[in-house]
Amino acid sequence: MVTSDSKQVAVDINEVTFRYGNIRALDALSLEIPAGISFGLLGPNGAGKTTLIRLLVGLLKPKHGSVRVLGEVPSRRVAYRIGYMPQLHSLYTELSVQQNVDFFAKINRLSGGAERARRVEETIRLVDLWPRRNDSVVKLSGGMRQRVSLACAIVHNPPLLLLDEPTVGLDPELRVTFWEHFANLNEQGVTIIVSSHTMDDAAHCDHLAFMRDGRVIAQGGPEELRSDTGQTTLEDAFLYYVRSGERNAA
Amino acid sequence: MLPRYAFTIAGRVCRQLLRDRRTMALIVVVPIVVMTLIGLSFPEGIVLDRIAPALLATMALFFSFLLTGISFLRERSQGTMERLMASSVSRLDVVLGYLLGFFIFALTQTLIILLFTIYVLDVNYNGDLWQIFVFQIVIIAGAVNLGIFISTFARNEFQMVQFIPLILFPQVFLCGVIWPVEQMPEYLQWIGRFLPLKYGVDGLRDIMLSGMSLIDVWFELLVLVGFTVATSVLATLTLRRGVGG
Ligand SMILES: Nc1ncnc2c1ncn2[C@@H]1O[C@H](COP(=O)(O)OP(=O)(O)OP(=O)(O)O)[C@@H](O)[C@H]1O
Ligand SMILES: [Mg+2]
Repeated sequence: MVTSDSKQVAVDINEVTFRYGNIRALDALSLEIPAGISFGLLGPNGAGKTTLIRLLVGLLKPKHGSVRVLGEVPSRRVAYRIGYMPQLHSLYTELSVQQNVDFFAKINRLSGGAERARRVEETIRLVDLWPRRNDSVVKLSGGMRQRVSLACAIVHNPPLLLLDEPTVGLDPELRVTFWEHFANLNEQGVTIIVSSHTMDDAAHCDHLAFMRDGRVIAQGGPEELRSDTGQTTLEDAFLYYVRSGERNAA
Repeated sequence: MLPRYAFTIAGRVCRQLLRDRRTMALIVVVPIVVMTLIGLSFPEGIVLDRIAPALLATMALFFSFLLTGISFLRERSQGTMERLMASSVSRLDVVLGYLLGFFIFALTQTLIILLFTIYVLDVNYNGDLWQIFVFQIVIIAGAVNLGIFISTFARNEFQMVQFIPLILFPQVFLCGVIWPVEQMPEYLQWIGRFLPLKYGVDGLRDIMLSGMSLIDVWFELLVLVGFTVATSVLATLTLRRGVGG
């Protein structure tokens, strides 16, 4: 499943700047994300997390700098090896859970009827919606839709997952299930990049990047960030960096 | 670059519409209601006979354009377009998939209108029924593509609604639907030559009123096929891979 070119570096972002008109969403940002880990992008609203993820899937093109995912410039050629979960649910609300997951399995080159059906079932069971598989998405609760959206992103077993706030609206029990599943995937060599606001997610990641105003203001393992700042919680560590950044800027 | 996912997308489009019972019912009922009202407003059958080809062409174009345009726009507003564009499917896959998917519904709708007009409203016609239908198929294909193309210029439903009169009214007034083109000023006739509905109306009139065959109306057919090809190319080109800009 994981090919040799992704053994070391899954994502390489080099001095990337991106603007929407006058708004600078990313500011000379560089990141190197090794394969096979869970990487957390943390930061307040408007920090540039979604913009960064859209650059990685090729929906946006960097104005300056370069981006490489799985050793290639993002394009349709690598797209089927990426599982992308947008921040909004992005589902066909008239279709059933199963029809949604199956559609995204098909367009991501999961071929062969029986094999695909097995994989679709497995994924729907993973997000704990098998009993609701024939319901239209419109009849599901917000958190359930979030789970369908995640299922659509991971159904084709891609070696790289880009998940934009995947745990929003999930109940605590399911959060735990998801993180257990992510850890399993990491063991199989899958790289997972997750954006989030919650420090609960952050604690599950192997590596974190704190983002603010389109820049990475600190990065490291959760333990490292806590001890380096002398704080007891990740929240405090983040606030520490935000404040010290403000001090430096002033 | 081969459109290997077009059928997958077409299948999904069909499933989506079929699961929406109310939309399905409206697709069948609305054209019948509209045609009934028009039929009743022409107490003299002979007048209805004369205007029927123009009506059939206009309805085929308009309903197909609307159905496709709005549905395609929804794909963007509900965020699924973002997912599609981030996947391995090509823009041609998307445009062809939609063309195929909507074509089936537009075709059903057109067939209902045609059969209703002929058998319930009792409109007299010359020419072969199957030739009339084939000619309409060509109109629909162009209209479906036009819907996709125009919807790429609208960011939301409100903007899309503004395009509807812009597409509908000039064609209805300048293409001889209501009064003969020959009675209009020269420059309006000239504009009319660039509108697809003119060829739809002319061709269908030739078949239904004069009893001509598809071969006789080759010129109109050719223009409509050209329009279909042009709009699919344009729709493919304007479909941006990017989002939100
Ligand atoms: N489509 C857009 N057009 C214009 N500006 C945009 C667009 N999308 C994002 N921005 C701007 O870019 C900046 C970064 O936005 P982005 O969505 O990447 O933040 P985020 O970190 O994902 O925030 P959140 O936590 O709220 O999801 C913000 O200032 C935002 O206003
Ligand atoms: Mg975001």
